[in-house]
Amino acid sequence: MYIRVVSVFIRGKYSMRLFEFYSPRTFDEATALLSQYGADAKIIAGGTDLLIELRKPGAKTPKAIIDISKISELTGIREEGDLVVLNALTTHSDILRSQTLQKHASLLCSAASTIGSPQIRNRGTVGGNIMNAATCADMVPPLIALDAQVTLKSRGGTRTSSLSEFFVKPYVTSARPDEILIDIRFPKPPAAASSSFVKLGRRNAVSISRLSVAAILHVEKNALVKEARIVPGSAFPTWQRVMEAESILVGKKPSRELFAEAGKKVAEVMISITGRRWSTEYKEPVIAVLVRRALEACWDN
Amino acid sequence: MRESVGIIATINKKKYEIEVAPNTTLLDVLRDQLGLTGTKRGCEIGECGACTVLIDGQAVNSCLVLAAQIDGHEIVTIEGLADGNTLHPLQESFLDHDAVHCGFCTPGMLMSAKALVDGDIDPSEEEIRIAISGNLCRCSGYQQIVDAVKEIPKK
Amino acid sequence: MGSKHKIIGKPERRVDAWGKVTGRAKFAEDYSVAHQLWGKVLRSKHPHAKILRIDTTKAETLPGVEAIVTARDIPGSKVFGIVVKNQQILCEDRVRYLGDGIALVAARSREICEEAVALIEIDYEPLPVISDPEEALKPGALPIHGDKNEFVHHKVCKGDVEKGFAEADFIIECTFKTQFVEHSYIEPEAVLAEPAEQGGVVITGSVQNLFSSRRSVAEALNLPLSRVQIIQATLGGSFGGKDEVMTSMCCRAAILATKTGKPVKMVNSREESMLESYKRHPYVLYYKWGAKHDGSITAMEVRCIADGGAYASMSPFVTWRSVVQATGPYCCENVKTDIYAAYTNNNYTGAMRGFGSPQVNFAIESMMDELAAKVGMNPLEIRMKNGFENGAVTATGQKLTHTVSLKEVLTKAAQEIGFEAKWQKYRSLKSGEKKRGVGLACSYRGVSLGAEGTDAAETIVSVQTDGSVIVSSGVTDMGQGAQTQMSQIAAEVLGITMDRIQFLNTNTSRVADSGPTVASRGTIMGGTAAKNAAEKVKTTLLEVGAAMIGCDVGSLDLAENYLINVKTNERLASFSELCAECFRKGKPMMGFGWHHSPPTSWDEEHGQGDAYFTFVYGANATEVEVDTETGKVNVIDFVSVHDVGKAINRGMVIGQMCGGVAMGLGYGLLEEFEIEEGVPKQLNFDEYLIATAMDVPRIRTIIVENEDPAGPFGAKSVGEPTNELAAPAIVNAIFNATGRRLYEIPANLERVLLGHKLTRTGKRGSEVKANHG
Repeated sequence: MYIRVVSVFIRGKYSMRLFEFYSPRTFDEATALLSQYGADAKIIAGGTDLLIELRKPGAKTPKAIIDISKISELTGIREEGDLVVLNALTTHSDILRSQTLQKHASLLCSAASTIGSPQIRNRGTVGGNIMNAATCADMVPPLIALDAQVTLKSRGGTRTSSLSEFFVKPYVTSARPDEILIDIRFPKPPAAASSSFVKLGRRNAVSISRLSVAAILHVEKNALVKEARIVPGSAFPTWQRVMEAESILVGKKPSRELFAEAGKKVAEVMISITGRRWSTEYKEPVIAVLVRRALEACWDN
Repeated sequence: MRESVGIIATINKKKYEIEVAPNTTLLDVLRDQLGLTGTKRGCEIGECGACTVLIDGQAVNSCLVLAAQIDGHEIVTIEGLADGNTLHPLQESFLDHDAVHCGFCTPGMLMSAKALVDGDIDPSEEEIRIAISGNLCRCSGYQQIVDAVKEIPKK
Repeated sequence: MGSKHKIIGKPERRVDAWGKVTGRAKFAEDYSVAHQLWGKVLRSKHPHAKILRIDTTKAETLPGVEAIVTARDIPGSKVFGIVVKNQQILCEDRVRYLGDGIALVAARSREICEEAVALIEIDYEPLPVISDPEEALKPGALPIHGDKNEFVHHKVCKGDVEKGFAEADFIIECTFKTQFVEHSYIEPEAVLAEPAEQGGVVITGSVQNLFSSRRSVAEALNLPLSRVQIIQATLGGSFGGKDEVMTSMCCRAAILATKTGKPVKMVNSREESMLESYKRHPYVLYYKWGAKHDGSITAMEVRCIADGGAYASMSPFVTWRSVVQATGPYCCENVKTDIYAAYTNNNYTGAMRGFGSPQVNFAIESMMDELAAKVGMNPLEIRMKNGFENGAVTATGQKLTHTVSLKEVLTKAAQEIGFEAKWQKYRSLKSGEKKRGVGLACSYRGVSLGAEGTDAAETIVSVQTDGSVIVSSGVTDMGQGAQTQMSQIAAEVLGITMDRIQFLNTNTSRVADSGPTVASRGTIMGGTAAKNAAEKVKTTLLEVGAAMIGCDVGSLDLAENYLINVKTNERLASFSELCAECFRKGKPMMGFGWHHSPPTSWDEEHGQGDAYFTFVYGANATEVEVDTETGKVNVIDFVSVHDVGKAINRGMVIGQMCGGVAMGLGYGLLEEFEIEEGVPKQLNFDEYLIATAMDVPRIRTIIVENEDPAGPFGAKSVGEPTNELAAPAIVNAIFNATGRRLYEIPANLERVLLGHKLTRTGKRGSEVKANHG
């Protein structure tokens, strides 16, 4: 059976304004469109953030929306020697099911499993999570903890940036309007290191991160911490490793007290950056707890 | 500016060629252009799951998919779940377990459940609850829905 | 007991479920007709303001706009209201909350509607915004309606509280606060209004209380009731919520349809729905109890202030139920209760599942645990000591003549969860990241409307010549299963199987005004009417059968789709043959069943009377795990026990119990519709959080059946009682876990960890502002 429908349907408020829609099949087509439209274009992949934004009354509608979901090179997870590469269209569902990631960076799987609902995880992509740059983006703290780099492509060529330097402020990255995020890559942590992601939401599902912590802990055979990485989420305007807290751990024997001390330091650093605000009374003790728990979870593994 | 984009997609096993406005969602097209009103509009921001359909076998919120993006894909909606007058075992199970109250979440709930049981014929209660965690139900407290998915008549 | 019925109490599929699992069920937004226009409301920009000028000229010239309507164009009554007629269909000179509508547009597409609404110019003169009901009640506060903001004061007076306090060994005084709650039906409001052939309108919509909406449409359009037909579309949840907001939408769509002569469809987005619709009342509750060391209560003094919001809506009735039930199912000789409702510039508040009970139950059941702690009893003991028994006299002086099963349900709930042992264990555990606690709550609840007003309903049972049966009623189904219950009752009486029955959605022109489907009265009122209707039909059928067989009526009965001999069970004729014979003999094949509730009484001056003709009893027990370092509470076990009289359909009763608990869990832990200076903060489900499948534990349900002569086959109610206990049970469990009582709900992360709420201030990064107490 073949059915042809031609009547076009148009909607009103809390719906989107008209834009040009493109669905390039190759990088060249996509980058050509981006260089043509520049800041007037928006890239869509899963659409789980973009469509919510465009639907808001008074939203700024782009002239063109470029759907990159048909560019086949943009999907998949692979290992390249000491690196793990996530192509930008990798969905949260792909991540939480990935054996590769389970082995090398299980905190990514944990983080992906806490995002939205199954429906959102099936559509939402790691690239979109990064490019949307919301402070509550759950994939970002683990990726920064993994010292990830992003690869951006434009007509002019390809460049990389470390993820921790990629964000300018909430919802703003340093990507140029003509660039597409094509992949995210990170070095495999040492086999002896373990990782964790803890997230606190108001609900047990479909919950925005109230606070989260990504942690990686490498304890040597001599039972001393060789390296620790701590990246809180929803705590700072943009994400960063909290070196002041990490350094407390290095060279010491892991213990609950030590982890708690690191947690307190993270809370201190948070307040030094954000100042005291309406939510600090809650966030100050709780971020410390979550850091401690994230480190404990690493240590338990 | 082009007011429409031509797409070809398979919806409930039928092939459709549709002229869609670029700024319409899959939900709009299903309900208002194709008359498939079984897919429900509840929040339009991907929180309630009433608009859940399957794209290539995966549950998605049709309110968060641009209609133009489904070109080349296969969609299943609630209308495509039964085989003629023969209900899908999940539908039978929903009837037997009183899993249907007001019925507004039911189509989305069934589609999420279908995506789950298509991949795993014997899911645990935890897996079922995760699978329907993106489908809000205000009537049932979810228990009878969970039971319905858990106890599908095995054929 | 079960064996005496064939259909009642048996697992039967819902009569409306097939359409719902296949996507065929038509909800209001699913109705469209050719050439329909879209209607849209221009809503206020200010929570409180004078309207100085409305200019629609620009909007009128927009191509595709077919009508623009303001209050001046309403031919009849511009206001409606079930108790107090002060709710504006469209505002003419003053807006009182952000959801108020000022103008309507009918246009050829939603997009044109949107543009046209933006072109309407309104000049406002902002007025002071009153967002706190206690501020609203202060002398000198700007009245929002009339000359003062207090519009309800109900009281109950029994004995002498001063004397009772004097006799007390000690006094407990607590203040509690509850929040605005959004009904969160998953289906947003929608209607389709079509001009009727002979004048008037036909409206199909997501309407809960069709007859009151019809009355308002008729008054707004100066039409007789006979010219306004409202047909209920399959309703995607309501919970008390699709009453006035739908009346308003029906009136608006009807006005546009009348003006344009074309069908007009109106659909709210979720944001519009949350902005405009009414909520459950927030209460401030001042409780003062005097008690003795043995745990007995000598006096209870209660004062509550309900935030009525911008319009009266159901506040007078909601608060009346509160005043009757404000001291719970507990014996006390001296009671003084005063409940006030105040106008504010918040969303108006009205009916929501529970109807004035969730608020007072939170306070009563918290107080009961406080009392237990004071006298060194456990929460079960204190309730067993003070709880009602058969023949108890309530605070309103009503002697309870039915089976008072409070202690039965309490004991069952406590036993099922292992309450006493766990309670003892958890309270003595010292510290820990995650602490467990158990909590208990119970209630009694008046069935149906009580002394609120006329309480009657109609159901029609129509037998077809082939033996199939059509049932319809003025009592509506919104998902709770009223259609199935009434069908089961009709099938039981007629001795037929359920597959013979087709239930029709309610249509105001085809059944009698049966009042609102509220107050958990569907089964007891509509069900009794169904029984009466089916019995009338049965009498006729047996008479026809007796003539056909040649025996006397007494030897015949109907069973399993046959006419049978009562003694031998011999099948004498099929039900179908009997119906065909009935038609041939020219006998009436339709039964009209009417039920009027037993009498109730109320003396408003003294607050005494037989408030309800019967009551139901319920108890909830829960176990929670509190993360003491983050404030996160997980409900890990839940027992819900309700005496429903008789379960007509066990699966549906269990469904009501589980659904009620989930909603109550949200009330206790998650849900809060915040309004700051008249501006709501949550307008969609991303911020207004209801429980997901991951938040609700497996619920253990126990149905208790003490049949009550007041209901069909002994059945009473289940819809609302299931929703009024979870929050206090959870809060009591948190107390058991942490030793800290919460006096405000929801028990969200901040309240549990810090003991108070944190309020987001307007500016990011600004100074801390905490709401203590």
